[in-house]
Amino acid sequence: MICCLGIIGLILTGTSLSELLDFSLDPAFIPSFKTMFISIILEAFPFILLGVLFSALLQVFVSDSVIQRFTPKNPVAGVLFGSLLGLLFPLCECGMVPVVRRLIRKGMPAYIGIVYIIAGPILNPVVYTATWTAFRTRPEIAYSRMGLAFGVSVITGLILYKVIRSNPLKQASPATGVIHSHDHHHGHHHSHDHGHAGTASVKNRFASTLSHASDEFFEMGKYLIFGALLTALIQTGLSRDTLAGVGEQPVLSNLFMMAFAFVLSICSTSDAFIAASFTGTFSAGSLLAFLVFGPMIDIKNTLMLLSTFRTKIVLALIFITGTLVLIGSILTERLFFS
Amino acid sequence: MENDSRSRMLHQLMRGLILTGFAMLIVYLVKTDNIGYYIAPRMELYVKLSAIGLYAAAVYQFYEAIQTWIGRKREMQCDCSHDPSPSAAKNTLIYSLFLFPLALGFLLPDTTMGSALASKKGITLSSSQQFNTPVNAGGVPNAEAKAEAAPMNEGSDASSASRQPETASPVRIELEPGAVPTGEQLNAMFPADTYTETYAEHAKKLYFSERIEIPEKSFIENLTTLDLYRVNLTGKTVVLSGFVYREEEMGKERFVVSRFAMNCCSADAMPYGLMIDYPGASRYADDEWIQVTGKMDLTTYKDNEIIYLKANKIEKIPAPESPYVYPDFDFGF
Repeated sequence: MICCLGIIGLILTGTSLSELLDFSLDPAFIPSFKTMFISIILEAFPFILLGVLFSALLQVFVSDSVIQRFTPKNPVAGVLFGSLLGLLFPLCECGMVPVVRRLIRKGMPAYIGIVYIIAGPILNPVVYTATWTAFRTRPEIAYSRMGLAFGVSVITGLILYKVIRSNPLKQASPATGVIHSHDHHHGHHHSHDHGHAGTASVKNRFASTLSHASDEFFEMGKYLIFGALLTALIQTGLSRDTLAGVGEQPVLSNLFMMAFAFVLSICSTSDAFIAASFTGTFSAGSLLAFLVFGPMIDIKNTLMLLSTFRTKIVLALIFITGTLVLIGSILTERLFFS
Repeated sequence: MENDSRSRMLHQLMRGLILTGFAMLIVYLVKTDNIGYYIAPRMELYVKLSAIGLYAAAVYQFYEAIQTWIGRKREMQCDCSHDPSPSAAKNTLIYSLFLFPLALGFLLPDTTMGSALASKKGITLSSSQQFNTPVNAGGVPNAEAKAEAAPMNEGSDASSASRQPETASPVRIELEPGAVPTGEQLNAMFPADTYTETYAEHAKKLYFSERIEIPEKSFIENLTTLDLYRVNLTGKTVVLSGFVYREEEMGKERFVVSRFAMNCCSADAMPYGLMIDYPGASRYADDEWIQVTGKMDLTTYKDNEIIYLKANKIEKIPAPESPYVYPDFDFGF
């Protein structure tokens, strides 16, 4: 796991190595970096704590059988359920990964959990309101953001359903080959039996919730901090003019905005405001690509996903959602924006 | 087994310390009033609440550490999973990742965002660009991007035309000095659709005042109004304050008075500004806070038509308590 992290870190920082050298020459770099870095962490704390707490409560108070009874058996219903779960639990992406990991370990099919991870940060009332406010002049952006996110999640879910089913290790421990997590899985089941066999007093459950929450905070926190670090480096190191100069051709600008969203890793509740500042520079279709792809996949949540799912699944997910968002945003622009 | 519980206790202590550290960092930022440098006021409550959560988790970690120390066997086996990795190097790496932001937070001074970040983020000199105007963003010089943006604008105009009458562009109407425009004339001067209605109403108010002071509360909204209806608002005296921002292309006699507009946190803050033309411009250093009074007019910068102030008075002012401006959700209500 750490290896993966290291390699990703190398790839990402390696590309901007020449800029890294420039950084040290600019006296404003360190203060700017600090402001960005700390602000991303502070902003994410409430959400990650909420997610971690919610996940711990699920772990301690909701039994596996309840989860299994509640999730639809039919794949289409399951995918729809996963993509609309965000309406009920509007968590943002930082809070979502621990919750979904817990749900999958408790027996929710992996494809439904993954659909929730990609759809939840967009298809929820908070993000809709934020997008609508940022694009007050063009509500079609808010509508098409919701629509495209829904479409992409459903199709991705159905593809994953097929793919993951043909895999004998479906919804197994997400970490084949990673010994640590494997242990975790086993240990977890043991403990769970203990918890339920023993007299689970309220006090014990409370303590158990706290214990889970703080452990999980450390597991998720390291990815959050690493993601914030990369994002802050890029935001302070690369100027927007340089970035904007790249996106010129129709398809290329969509791809570029997707890559930009991946790199920026801003929370889905505030990315609409960033996108709005690019109106006039970039086409509506490429802004849509930015708004749909970013919350689904970005540096921060890729690192978090890698901590939970097998690398192969994460790469497949990035590839599938990336392709769908690209095609979808181009089609939406052709059909609805012109 | 001895070693095992010793290392467990070390981990619990370490985690407790880190959690306390983050809680204290938030408390420290709130106490020094510097929290506003990082997050918007509407997020503050949530961040404060998370400090309480972090602190509770820290207390629990210390409690667990004591339990381990006095040898009480862990009766809640749920922490099974999180038995720390045996590799010391890996643990050091992970804990230093957590300690790094803490060290930065406590050791380095908190600073406001200024020119340096504004140039990275790209300043917006024409804040009405979000309203489908063909005017391009101030920060983007290349013609291709503009050409590409144009068909999109036409396209969305066409699609919105099916839902509502197409928005006319403002008509420049010159009146005799002292003459009052008729309602019809006013509507031609300040046309609006559903989305620009509040701006048009505001513009009509501004039109009747000779001197327009741009308030902190609706800074962006006022700049947008000036920019949207620039043809009929030129010649007005405008007063605004902000920090000095420069680009090479501006030359010696021009700079921008700028403010960062923040939505949630500094990572999403964007600089907005108004171009200033003043013969003594070079007397003012980058990032210096000033109040400018000047006459509004039109000019071109990097191939875009933008509004600017021909300044007749510039005053140095102390940096305001809150250096950033925030979207005004009450604007027009």
